[in-house]
Amino acid sequence: MLEVRLSQPRRGFRVEVEFTLEEGGALALFGPSGAGKSTVLACIAGFQQPDAGVIRLGGRQFFPPPLPLHRRGVGMLTQEPALFPHCTVEENVAFGLPRPYSSESRAWLARLREQMHLGDCWHAPATRISAGQARRVALARMLAPRPALVLLDEPFGGLDRGLVRGLLEDFLTWRRELGFTLIAVDHQAEVLEQLCPRVLAMAAGRVVAAGSWAELRQRAPQAMAALLAPL
Amino acid sequence: MSSTLGTPSTQAPRPAAPRAAGDGRAPHPRRWRWVAHAGALLFAVLLLYPFSGVWAPVGAWQWSGTAGAASRASILVSLELTALAMLLVVAVGTPVALYIRRTGRAARTWWEAALLASILVPSLALGILLSLAFRPEGALGGWLAQLGLVSTNSAAAFVLTQVYVSIGYYVLGALVALGAIPAGLEQHAALLGLGPVRVFWRVTLPLARFGLAAALSLAWVRAIGEFGAVVVTAYYPAGMPVQLWIHLESAGLGAVMPLLVAFMAAALPLPLLLHLLAHRRRHA
Repeated sequence: MLEVRLSQPRRGFRVEVEFTLEEGGALALFGPSGAGKSTVLACIAGFQQPDAGVIRLGGRQFFPPPLPLHRRGVGMLTQEPALFPHCTVEENVAFGLPRPYSSESRAWLARLREQMHLGDCWHAPATRISAGQARRVALARMLAPRPALVLLDEPFGGLDRGLVRGLLEDFLTWRRELGFTLIAVDHQAEVLEQLCPRVLAMAAGRVVAAGSWAELRQRAPQAMAALLAPL
Repeated sequence: MSSTLGTPSTQAPRPAAPRAAGDGRAPHPRRWRWVAHAGALLFAVLLLYPFSGVWAPVGAWQWSGTAGAASRASILVSLELTALAMLLVVAVGTPVALYIRRTGRAARTWWEAALLASILVPSLALGILLSLAFRPEGALGGWLAQLGLVSTNSAAAFVLTQVYVSIGYYVLGALVALGAIPAGLEQHAALLGLGPVRVFWRVTLPLARFGLAAALSLAWVRAIGEFGAVVVTAYYPAGMPVQLWIHLESAGLGAVMPLLVAFMAAALPLPLLLHLLAHRRRHA
């Protein structure tokens, strides 16, 4: 069970959010730009420390006191792939594995390579691959240590629809297999709907609606309805 | 899935664009280009002109006898003790730079002011201040003396002075190098399960290595070439700059020249090599 209750100042308002998520569950954070969605993810990941609150995943207390990032077992994917430029694609994917040269790790890496279609660029420097490949490498790198909780902060932004569709399919396949808990943020409701059955709608740091997507569409405030409308 | 690696271009060749300068800026207009080239060449000649002094008619170079022995001893002193000083500079300066980098803007401003103060104080003044601050009768100087580290005219004084004159350059350079690491990479490495020490070795250091090396080379040049402060705190053991001055005063230019060449050979190659390496990396 993921338990989140946090209070964190942002420019102009305070982000105050409270929710729980069962192990293996998926939750979307949806709302206009600047609503505080990424702040929530940053607090769970440990990039920011909330002023007050509690963040707990299973038996692990993330806050308070702040648990070091490397002990959280959290995977995070952002719009920027943040690949290590001094490493090859293979080294990037293997980066979080404690024993990358063990036979078990090698087999796991080979599976990631094949299923993520990274064979063509596996030995290439991370700086010499396309944007689409970079997103796949970032996804494979995040999945490699088998995180218990995955945070997606608009990782599909700026990609064409074909690439987004492919990445979504891959991501959902891996989620079914690894069974991690998921919190996703994106501006595109159609992307989030495929990832998470439940949604928390946020505006100016507060939760303004929660439930299924169908419920949100029925009860959404006026401003939120505009975000949910198709282009 | 197709790879972008080595994909040949299928587009038709475009007409040649005017060649851009090294940094992508437009070249000088053609009619002024020769004036710019000539001016730049003249500047380069004047900049490097002092090196022609090596061929000046100063008589026979003395590399033997008493003066030669003193020169050779000073080279050893400078190389060994500067190397030791650089070890201390890196061992102390790197964690300090890592710490300052994570402080807030106000604290960082104070840190940078303190580092700049250590750089900007005139060498001779720094030497006098060091001699007074570390005098054997003082608290710190007395404590160091009890440990066997005599704070004037000793190897310890030499190293201490070199550390003081160069560590500000190293830390400020290291801050620039660390600041150039793309934001978030270290956090992502930590989320992947790497503790702070492993993040440093596997992400921070590889990405900042050329910048850190450039900062170290600057510190090296500053330390090995230091005269004003060292001549006050550590006239003995004489390093190359002090020995050059002694030769100038007592033995003449014939004794100065070989030591001068050795001095330049010790000071210049490391920074030049690092500059070239960093340049190649930028254009790789």
